[in-house]
Amino acid sequence: MVHTTVVGSYPRVSDAPEGQRLRRAIARWERHELTDSALRDVQMDVLREVVKEQARFVDLPADGQVTWYDPVSHFAAKLEGFEIGGLLRYFDTNTYYRQPRPKGKVRWTGAITVDDWMAASAASPAPVKAVVTGPYTLAVLSAGAASHVPDLAWELAVALGHELGNLVHAGATHLQVDEPALAGAKALPKGYDEIAKVLLEGQGRARSSLFIYFGGVGHLLPELLDLPFDVLGLDFVQGAGTLAALRTMQTEKQIAFGLVDARNTRLEDPKVIAKAVLGFEGRVPLEDSYLCPSNGLEYLPRSRAREKLKVLAEAARLVREASA
Amino acid sequence: MKHPLRTTTVGSFAKPDYLQRARNRHAAGKVADEELDRLTRQATREVVELQEHLGLDVFVHGEMERGDMVAYFAEHMPGMRTGELVRSYGNRFYHKPIIVDELGWDEAMTVDMWRYAQGLTKWPMKGMLTGPYTMVEWSFDEHYGSRKEAVLGMARVIHREAQALAKAGARYIQVDEPAIHTRPGEDFDLAVKAMETVVKGVAAEFHTHICYGDVSRIYPGMLRLPVKQIHLAFKNTDFGLLKLFDRTPFDKSKELGLGVIDVHTHTVEPVKDVRVGIGRALRYVPPERVWIEPDCGLKTRTPEEVQAKLKVMVEARNAVLHGLGA
Repeated sequence: MVHTTVVGSYPRVSDAPEGQRLRRAIARWERHELTDSALRDVQMDVLREVVKEQARFVDLPADGQVTWYDPVSHFAAKLEGFEIGGLLRYFDTNTYYRQPRPKGKVRWTGAITVDDWMAASAASPAPVKAVVTGPYTLAVLSAGAASHVPDLAWELAVALGHELGNLVHAGATHLQVDEPALAGAKALPKGYDEIAKVLLEGQGRARSSLFIYFGGVGHLLPELLDLPFDVLGLDFVQGAGTLAALRTMQTEKQIAFGLVDARNTRLEDPKVIAKAVLGFEGRVPLEDSYLCPSNGLEYLPRSRAREKLKVLAEAARLVREASA
Repeated sequence: MKHPLRTTTVGSFAKPDYLQRARNRHAAGKVADEELDRLTRQATREVVELQEHLGLDVFVHGEMERGDMVAYFAEHMPGMRTGELVRSYGNRFYHKPIIVDELGWDEAMTVDMWRYAQGLTKWPMKGMLTGPYTMVEWSFDEHYGSRKEAVLGMARVIHREAQALAKAGARYIQVDEPAIHTRPGEDFDLAVKAMETVVKGVAAEFHTHICYGDVSRIYPGMLRLPVKQIHLAFKNTDFGLLKLFDRTPFDKSKELGLGVIDVHTHTVEPVKDVRVGIGRALRYVPPERVWIEPDCGLKTRTPEEVQAKLKVMVEARNAVLHGLGA
């Protein structure tokens, strides 16, 4: 039976006045009119809301990343070994991240995502996936990337391995590592299999996913399928070629099918999505695989993100019906 | 010879509280169109007066009538629909529009406010447009399904608007393209072609503003843009972008818009830091071809911060001019 999940981020505001309480709270906090603790209360309120909203439609929600400034500085700012610099475009999106500047050895000094995950988990009727940005992506998006990526990615893998271990210790049963930078790589970075092992050292009995979005990875698929993650998440919208490449393969790896476009408001026909997934019957273990958006849903307005999850849920229902 | 180190700003100014409140109430149907227009013009007049007080050389009208550089045009352009809120970065959100039909131009979208602002001062007022690549890239496309078709369709619309501004008397027109480096390998030629369409046959001096992306991937290609001035956010990189000119000197036929003020921090830069930054740029481009500006639009700052930051900018420019004996 195919499952449904999200990739990570979820719109933290909506157009309704009540849907903008986090935006207003941050503005007040920036003006020193709100304490850290009062801001955290609002963040947690919104986090619980978005987790429950996702859980209405998907089997495996995430915390929505509502407390993240961006997927890069959220980690770099809390690790030793970075200072945070200016704004830079985040891949080919119209969002921006604060670029980290390496200034010494990277070290994990304390939990980064565990509190948010625990809050999300407490609010959700279903298990909640814990998500971290991967070491290769963090290294590539840091200042002065070209010269330091291999060493930096290794140090980050050790640090993020601690983070994932802490998430497991806190009770997380599903872990996801996001590596959008791999979509732009000509080849799998040398030593990435070792990086993956270090990342997953504390995995225990949790299930692990590697998710790559914002592009295609058809040429990397054989190597990606060999990595020690339980699930491989793929963007089949921006990486349309990946779908064709996967069609030529037979694998025991569980796949997260990113078939619902998380970067365009146009709604898909669930029947078309279901048909694409069913085309993999017998070649991918569909009963343990996932249907999901192509990337985080934060690039869409809140109301449309919800509609996309409905499409996803309906497509999954059609797949289950056809497979029964 | 041109006046060295001319000063201008990138476009938007902070909206005063009374205008922001009125805009919110107008959106809720509690303020009439006429009242909002009156307050918008009042705020525009204050922006013009501030620039006169500070002694800037080329003015902007401050974009008091615009909620956002993309959404404003979408509200007035056939083929586009206003969208819902989407995050841009940090705590900044905008109503991301949707292209739902063939793009078109019915009437001027920016000329009325430009004419009003220009009527308030003898100093030249820039016409402010958002470029076709950015307009499309920062919208959802439910109609064209091809970025090329959408961008070129948008370029034809923005061209009509540029014509209208020039006809009204705008000597300077700025076409903002902050998204131009989103897909440098794939799309840069398209962005250049779109800019060619915008400026073709329009009798004005064109400037463009590019910010917060990987500029190294479009340099020196960006020198092909058919504009007189290219403005970049130098302060955001602590002037690290200047290293690009070691590799390929800046085009001698163009002018450089030097971003010297960080628009994303509440901290007001010391005059000395700005002066040093200008001095570093002058090692690459002579003062006659350098404009001094903030990194980007000022709408993210408070009105007090805007005034303080621009005051520093002008003082630093004056100090450098003094050092040059100008």
